Amino acid sequence: MNYIQNLILDNYDLTNKKLENILSAACPKNIDFADLYFQYTNSEGWQLEDGIVKSGSSNIDSGVGIRSVAEDKSGFAYSNNFNYENLISAAKTSKCIVKSGQSREIQLGNSQDIRKLYNPVSPLDFKTDDVKVKFLKDIDKYVRDKDDRVEQVIVSLAGTYDSILILNTDGIKAFDDRPLVRFSVMVILKVGDRRERGSSGGGGRYSYDEIIDTKFAYEFADEAIRQAAVNLQAEDGKAGSMTVVLGPGWPGVLLHEAIGHGLEGDFNRKKTSAFSDLIGKQVASSQCTIVDDGTISKRRGSLSVDDEGCETKCNTLIENGILKGYMQDKINAKLMNVSPTGNGRRESYACLPMPRMTNTFMLPGEFNPNEIIESVKDGIYAVNFSGGQVDITNGQFVFTASEAYLIENGKVTKPIKGMTLIGNGPEVLKKVSMVGNDLKLDDGVGTCGKDGQSVPVGVGQPTLKIDEITVGGTQV
Amino acid sequence: MSSNRNDIFVYKDRLQEIYKDLNKKYSHEFNLSISNGYTVTSRSSKVENIEYHEDMALNVTVYNDFKKGNASTNNLSSENIIKTIEKAENISQKTQADDCQGLPESNFTEKEWDNLGIYYPRDLEIENVIEMTKDCEAEAFKTDKRISNSEGSTFSFSKNSHMILNTNGAYGAYNSTDYSLSCIALAEENKLMERDYWYSSSRDFKKLEEGSSIGKKAAQRVLSRLGARTLKTQVCPVLFSPEMSASIISNFLSAINGSAIYKKSSFLLDKVNEKIFPDFVNIREEPLLSNGPATRPYDSEGVLTENKNIVDNGILKTYLLDTYSSRKLKMDCTGNGVLTNITMNSSEPLVSDIVSTLKNGIYITDMMGSGANTLTGDYSRGAFGYLVENGEIQYPVTEITVASNLSQMFQNIVALGDDIDLRNRIRTGSLLIDNITIGGTN
Repeated sequence: MNYIQNLILDNYDLTNKKLENILSAACPKNIDFADLYFQYTNSEGWQLEDGIVKSGSSNIDSGVGIRSVAEDKSGFAYSNNFNYENLISAAKTSKCIVKSGQSREIQLGNSQDIRKLYNPVSPLDFKTDDVKVKFLKDIDKYVRDKDDRVEQVIVSLAGTYDSILILNTDGIKAFDDRPLVRFSVMVILKVGDRRERGSSGGGGRYSYDEIIDTKFAYEFADEAIRQAAVNLQAEDGKAGSMTVVLGPGWPGVLLHEAIGHGLEGDFNRKKTSAFSDLIGKQVASSQCTIVDDGTISKRRGSLSVDDEGCETKCNTLIENGILKGYMQDKINAKLMNVSPTGNGRRESYACLPMPRMTNTFMLPGEFNPNEIIESVKDGIYAVNFSGGQVDITNGQFVFTASEAYLIENGKVTKPIKGMTLIGNGPEVLKKVSMVGNDLKLDDGVGTCGKDGQSVPVGVGQPTLKIDEITVGGTQV
Repeated sequence: MSSNRNDIFVYKDRLQEIYKDLNKKYSHEFNLSISNGYTVTSRSSKVENIEYHEDMALNVTVYNDFKKGNASTNNLSSENIIKTIEKAENISQKTQADDCQGLPESNFTEKEWDNLGIYYPRDLEIENVIEMTKDCEAEAFKTDKRISNSEGSTFSFSKNSHMILNTNGAYGAYNSTDYSLSCIALAEENKLMERDYWYSSSRDFKKLEEGSSIGKKAAQRVLSRLGARTLKTQVCPVLFSPEMSASIISNFLSAINGSAIYKKSSFLLDKVNEKIFPDFVNIREEPLLSNGPATRPYDSEGVLTENKNIVDNGILKTYLLDTYSSRKLKMDCTGNGVLTNITMNSSEPLVSDIVSTLKNGIYITDMMGSGANTLTGDYSRGAFGYLVENGEIQYPVTEITVASNLSQMFQNIVALGDDIDLRNRIRTGSLLIDNITIGGTN
């Protein structure tokens, strides 16, 4: 169900006519476009540490963001108070980017029928608190029983239900209801004085039953123990330039940092990205085809409509190494004279939308993963990462491995300590010499930050080999 | 725009009204923040965005014997506040007991603070603010013709009020203001682009750096990045700029935070009274610095903050503890439900020309990525900087990594510069650290 209709529109008597008046107030004739973003978010989190479920929290946040756009200028205001007079006054603040102008009539259409990629059901209504608490305790017991080196276990379960309504001066009226759940487990193992961590988790746009009533969480618990155990054996790695094989799935954070951000429309309209003006040019090896796909059912990075009311799509960014297109929101698409791609996203009603990624991944190639590893005489096999960052202007990006091994004479041998890899976005994908046939998407834990706004995203890739990249070990 | 101070009192009365009818079986804590202000960005000599913000957040923590529940909301009607309290109470019936949990017993605040030197409200005309950002950006373009583009100049202002109340009798309230002005400039040479920025921030508008000076510094910084080269892999001394030094010290502070200690997830476990840094290093917390970026009279639980020596002559004197972690570790609470202003100091004179002290090595001014592991101390990040030979900067270097272990990095600090960054909540000059591995080309 959508809370906006009951809890906000009905409660505050915001009829279509009144909503049209608010849009009108935000959009005099010298403003090109205005939109309203109503949001009602209900979220909760439960956490176990030191063997007990120590805390639970619940949050309700609601408000409406009002934006007025004239060419490349945006005015923006928001309100947590839904009284009509308050919204009219916020709308007048929003149009502050222009001097006063003549008013215009706005006509809203009927609410749009949108393709649903997830069920409009709040995960928070699904399981009782007792069940959630017991679930966390069961996982903790499972981990502690399984390995006697366990020093600490932190398990958490979080759920959000985000009801939104987007209205704009094109007449769009789109409701969306976005469930999102996430499970995570962190384990510290100790041997002698050495402590190492392993963490794992997953989630998506569904309810708690897909986590609590399945083997899902236990598999993540096993994975966290396994990673911590590997790290207990890890030795210092080398520093310098070397061949790196990346495992499938989450290491796709490479694509998110190396090319994803650089292909966001705002940076390319302003020509501040290392990828500006490279459409049609070779930016990756011909084995690389990369998409941003917001349409995969129930995935963490997916959206039925983006935060500007545009249906999400599967957009090809790079096809056989050639740069095909950028990710766009409405403003940047209009200014660059292309169609919006369904990538206009915002952290909440209190932030302006921007072009953002959804689920970004590389399509499978032809190599067997073993074949890829066997082709490396001396290098690194990195399978888990803790995150990354990019400077979109010079293209420098980093991503930090949390589980990695040496490859010696075509075989994966000793584990090495986590380290940061650094490369140049427009260069590094040209050095991808083998792409595996084992595409995997991540488990649903990714969060991307841009200009202080966080949004849930997905990544993925098959096993792939980068001939040369700089690796930040401590040994020379 | 309405005064925050009045708002806070409206809510104080409202909360105290609700208070009377609270179920005495529970203890309650209320944290309320109100903030409003705006952000203005100009780019290419035109205003680009004007964003107004107005935020409220009420956080309710409930202890039901030793069980804890927490709920928050941004709707502060009486009806909704009561619902939020009930929600926290309900959660506290489901969580498990831990006898270290509960409200702080004493040393809590019972007053309103108004002389902290962090509240300088000022009504600025938005037109003037726009001009200020345009001038700031224009100065960057004026500096050099290689300044090819910009991400604009941004001014932001916010006026904040905070209040805490708990059913043990703690009560505190204070106001603050934040002003900042920044500029991001791009430069291009041989078809390669770089970006860099500069900013000024202050509690007092009058103390902000001039826009023209900010624009110019942003330009100079990005120009100095042009023509960056890669570097051979090596082990050498590294000078970290004040901003980068602050990030290294923030890793230290995370590792001595009570919650990392009781969870046994820190490389500085059981290290109180041990030597972590060389003899000359002193680190202090100064919560009440006038115009301090993190100045606060009380912490997130209403416990009074206090000046303290965290590191004395290189020796770790205390962990940073809130009520819960202090009970858990059987130590005294240090009022560190939050961390305030931190000052890094030296018992030897600060070095005035620290680049020449480095002699031969790398001067790091930017780092990327999350490669600091505070469980093991392992450190590996991407970096940008300058090659220094014979005490002189030679050329910019890029696509390199910086790696070591934080324990060793702390021990290997050789000198502390006098170029202290007063904008940062961690006030430190450049740190010269020996024996760092730089990853580059083979």
